[in-house]
Amino acid sequence: MDKIARIDMGAAGGPKVTVGDLGEYAGLGGRAMTSLVVAAEVHPLAHPLGAENKLVISPGMLSGTTGSMTGRLSVGCKSPLTGTIKESNAGGQAAQVLARLGYAAVILEGKPEGDDLYKIVINKDGIQVIVDNSLKLMDNYPLVAKLRQEYGDKAAYMSIGSAGERKLLAASIACTDPELRPTRHCGRGGVGAVMGAKRVKAIILDDAGMKMRPPKDPDAYRDANRKFVEGLRKHPVTGEGLPAYGTNVLTNVLNEAGGYPTNNFKSGQFADSAKLSGETQAALEISRGGSATHGCHRGCVIQCSGIYNDKDGNYVTKQPEYETVWSHGGHCGISNLDTVAKLDYIDDNIGVDTIEMGVTIGVAMDAGLAEFGDDAAAIRLMEEVAKGTPLGRVLGSGAAITGKVFGVERVPVVKDQALPAYDPRAIQGIGVTYATTTQGADHTAGYAIATNILKVGGDVDPLKTEGQIELSRNLQIATAAIDSTGMCLFIAFAIMDQPETFQALLDMLGSFHGITMTGDDVVALGKKVLSAERDFNARAGFTKHHDRLPRFFYNEPIAPHNQTFLMKDEELDEVFNW
Amino acid sequence: MPRSIPDQSKFAPGLTLQLDADQLHAFFPLLQKGVAVPATVGCTLKCLLCDQFSIPADYVTDRITTIFMDNRPVDDLEHTIIQDGSRVTLSAAMPGLVGATMRRGGFYAALRQGISHVSGGAAAADQHGTVRIKLFNLLLAELGPLVLARGLILEPAELADLLKSIPDRPLDSSPGTSRVLLTVRFNE
Repeated sequence: MDKIARIDMGAAGGPKVTVGDLGEYAGLGGRAMTSLVVAAEVHPLAHPLGAENKLVISPGMLSGTTGSMTGRLSVGCKSPLTGTIKESNAGGQAAQVLARLGYAAVILEGKPEGDDLYKIVINKDGIQVIVDNSLKLMDNYPLVAKLRQEYGDKAAYMSIGSAGERKLLAASIACTDPELRPTRHCGRGGVGAVMGAKRVKAIILDDAGMKMRPPKDPDAYRDANRKFVEGLRKHPVTGEGLPAYGTNVLTNVLNEAGGYPTNNFKSGQFADSAKLSGETQAALEISRGGSATHGCHRGCVIQCSGIYNDKDGNYVTKQPEYETVWSHGGHCGISNLDTVAKLDYIDDNIGVDTIEMGVTIGVAMDAGLAEFGDDAAAIRLMEEVAKGTPLGRVLGSGAAITGKVFGVERVPVVKDQALPAYDPRAIQGIGVTYATTTQGADHTAGYAIATNILKVGGDVDPLKTEGQIELSRNLQIATAAIDSTGMCLFIAFAIMDQPETFQALLDMLGSFHGITMTGDDVVALGKKVLSAERDFNARAGFTKHHDRLPRFFYNEPIAPHNQTFLMKDEELDEVFNW
Repeated sequence: MPRSIPDQSKFAPGLTLQLDADQLHAFFPLLQKGVAVPATVGCTLKCLLCDQFSIPADYVTDRITTIFMDNRPVDDLEHTIIQDGSRVTLSAAMPGLVGATMRRGGFYAALRQGISHVSGGAAAADQHGTVRIKLFNLLLAELGPLVLARGLILEPAELADLLKSIPDRPLDSSPGTSRVLLTVRFNE
């Protein structure tokens, strides 16, 4: 990963590729790369769908190596959904292949005149940008099937569906999994719309003839990776719970805690949650000849995904994740896993964020476009998005736009991005992160990553109110750093509970790059990323007044705890005071 | 405290099923939704789990990392008092920030301030009652047989639904019209 490719899609005479060295971005990867490039190079007041915006694609610092769990790909830009800086990441094969091809980043710049649609082919011989108007308005599954006929089954594919071409604000960028299905999405923030605005339909990544990235100290790297894998396998979450049930194992627990937003955040419990649970889902998948244990990229040892088949044993979609089952399920009063699976397939196929779309359908139900619990109506509304009808374009622009168009007061968004599946009135601390993150409401912006080991900002008394502010700050710092490594966030539990596994991660980073890595270095990296993101957002016009939850969280108590969001504004304003 | 014997006189008629081990999964939906079990109440949660249900203390400590009572995450088993009708939910370790947040005595417990169970009160004289038990995820298979062997109090409709889901059930296990104490044992 010693070079950066810049592709000026708006260059005179057609797209122009320039490959250069890393320069000031040396040593960066993942979110650190995307955010520092966007912060430095994109005008903060640029229109997100205009030529001034850039789409930065970057594998993690350890992607493309023999290390386990290193396959996350970051995509960054100014978000058309939020107006803030955005980093959205996904699994799949793309990060590994792009890293082995030697690119620390591929940056799409400019915007072409005219309606031509392009595909970009990146292989050992270089980069080609090719007009291919035969791909127009194709959705991800048929698109990848068509591309495979030309570029084969050894490549990895990144693509946008019809939603990205239509520049819908919920549009995602799909990355293919090991079976070459477009199931892994950089979902949040409308990054697919930015790719669509640059008229790039697909990026074909072929690493034939390339080798794994070599570590500076191969023996030490191998040893650290072995200890890291051992740590993941022996931990009950990464070694048992996630492989058996996937992330949807959270449905039962969140419902029990009264933090499962139901019927567009009107209640914290859903009576039929057991029908949607990870336990039920896994049993159903296995009984239908699918799988409840499956990796999204090669080198994954957690295997939190799965294969969801219909009752006749035919593939429907990958195992829907917890947030998807919630957004299309309980949030809309729907308790049928087959309906959720069908909606998940539509999301992946047209290329939209499952959280944003599920929340939007719930808001539309609140607007009276359908009844809560009406499976057929939910599918019908998603089909409007797929067809690109005027109603579909409104819905595909997310919950905030839909709420405004239909006059809905209860719209669960922060900085216009839909809240994920945890009610902040029940779990106040996560509301702090929702409100203050640089990304808009995002459950992965402050993950449970070893802050107890890192001691970011000192020890925290878990019994005091200010502990929630401290924890959110520390979690956001640690997460920004991990997002830069290319590591899957689910390693969090093993490195949080097992200091030797955390040390193994540091040793992997250190032995690969030939440096000594400490917890302090991780903290410094996280702060550097967050500071750049906060600075960009400030220059884009965001103030502390945007770091707030919607008022209904303060005014409407939620059952069963009958609690509102209690954190004071002054406390929220302290999160980034380091 | 000696292991207590449920007062079965209130739940007639009793029904016992002897099933193959691979039929355990038929009970998972019911165990996720929660089942009423006879118990001695007025004791601590730790007593309920370790003494009445005979769950080894180290299993409770290491494996049952997430516990709710009446929808509130529990941190202190030794000062949480079981009442008649209490709802107790048991789960293994959960992923995600919220999974870590819900952990008993976890580092991130502050994030759920406001819904945590507040321990207090003292154990009262033992009395017979019922507790509603829910099992989630890995604990379904691990603790399910133990809960089922103690006996579940089922309404006729619940029993009817359950029996429909068990293939090759014994012919004499048809549901009646009153609540029943169902005991289930599995062949080795």
